[in-house]
Formats: sequence, structure tokens, C-alpha cells
Amino acid sequence: MNRRLRNALKGLMDPDIERRRRVMDSFVRATFESFIRYLYRYLGNEVECEDVLEDVYADIWENPARLCNVTSDRELLRTVYLYYMRKRLREVYRRINRNLHLSQEGLKRLVAPELGVFEMTSQSELRQLLNRMLSRLKARERRAIELWMEGMSNRAIANELKTTVGAVKMLKFRTMLKLRKMLCDHCRED
Amino acid sequence: MSDINRTIEELLVDYAEALRDGCIPAFLKSLTSEEGRRIAYSRGFWEATDVVRVLNSAGFADKAVTPNVSLFISRVDAKIASRLKKARALSRRKRTARARHLT
Repeated sequence: MNRRLRNALKGLMDPDIERRRRVMDSFVRATFESFIRYLYRYLGNEVECEDVLEDVYADIWENPARLCNVTSDRELLRTVYLYYMRKRLREVYRRINRNLHLSQEGLKRLVAPELGVFEMTSQSELRQLLNRMLSRLKARERRAIELWMEGMSNRAIANELKTTVGAVKMLKFRTMLKLRKMLCDHCRED
Repeated sequence: MSDINRTIEELLVDYAEALRDGCIPAFLKSLTSEEGRRIAYSRGFWEATDVVRVLNSAGFADKAVTPNVSLFISRVDAKIASRLKKARALSRRKRTARARHLT
């Protein structure tokens, strides 16, 4: 953890709310990038990420006690996700849940899940790991995932792979399960 | 996302697409009760969502970073100011009520 962030965290524990408010500036500057990237994993929409993050920072300012024993970047992200982000993520979707056919538990699991094996892996680690795993897939499976990550629709991927949309969906589903197994095995080995 | 009674494979792919395109609410609203039940009992679906999030994070999260952090900081400050104002108004109301009660 760099000195700027450490000092900002120390300043956040100040009992005076006005002083805490002034410290927020450096705290936001030091953490914004990592927090918003992390939130993007669950929301996929930068506008919503910013809205949620705004509340998250205000919550931290109001009640920073959970962060008092944080000593590393990873621990900070984990604590902020568990005690601040998850609450806000759930709130975003609770609003639209009235007419949904997904149980409250299912919704929670989908939009703000418990911390899993990959949740705390950093962005760069994830990218490296994913590249390694993708290279171990069959050519067709890898191509389907790569095209999807380029932003192509299922129909476009089906055209590219000269197959049907249904077959692409099946292929993607199977490949994702395969990737998960590979990633889990890797994490276990580590 | 217009098909009715999609298979679990189709549901996962639709979820992945919704997450990539930033429209999860549309995906959630598109679910029928049968599909909701199917999702709830499918282990494969839940396992695959982990990977979907990883792919989303590794592939697209970089575009979420706003170039203007200062603007965002001013939004956070405005939010804090509004909470402060509310808290002060609340304590003032409480004080007035207590004073009225004493007299």
C-alpha cells in the first residue's frame, strides 16, 4: 500500500467529520481506479458504477470503522466490497426486484455474490491467468470467447464460426465451465 | 432476450451479454418465472457466472475508468454535504423537540 493511501486511511479515522471530509479527496484519488474497475465486474456499466461508488464513498466517510485495521491494497478492496459495495449493489437491484421472477436470494447471488475464488484476484493477474487458460482451450472454443470479448453478438460469432446461434450458445456455456475448472485448478495449485 | 423459456445455456449467454453491454436490469426483467426457477436450481449456471464476471473484468473494466476524477470527487463531496445537512437538520429537530418537551 503506498504512503498516500496509508495517510488517507489514517485521516479517515479522525473523529471530526469535517476533517474526514477533507481527507476524502486524497482517498478517492488513491482508490478510484481500482474500486471502479472492481465494481465494473458486477455492473458492466460505467455510469451505474459511478453512481454506486458515490454512495460507497459517502458511506465510508460516514462510518469508516471497518477500514481501521486494513494494511494492504487487497485487504482494502475486500473490506470495501464486503461492507460497503455489496450493500449498495443489492440496493440498486432491490428497487427493480418487485416484478422479477428471480428469488431475492438468487438476485443477491447474481448481482452481489459472496467472495469467491476469483473475486480477490487483481486485474492484471486475472488478465494474465485468462490468457494462459485461453491458450489451453481448443481453437474453436478460444475463438468463440475471443470474438465475444471483442463485443460480437451471438449471430456474428455463429457466422464467423459457420455454425448456428444455438450451437454458439452451447459452445460458450461449455467453454465457460471448462475455463472455470481450469481457473479453480490453478488457484488450488497456488 | 426475447425467447421464452430459454435453456440454461441460453440464459447464461444472455446474462453474459447483458453484463458485457451493461444492461443487467433488462436481463433480470426478461426472466420468466420458469426461467427464474431453472436458474435457482442450476449449479452449472452459478459456476459459469463466476467466469462471466472474470471475463467482464479482464476484458472490459478498463473502459469504466473516468478520465476526470476531480469531477467525480466533487460529486462525492456534494453527497457528503447533503448527508451532513440532513444529519444537522435531524439533530436540530431533536433538540427543538426536547426543548419544547421541557417547557
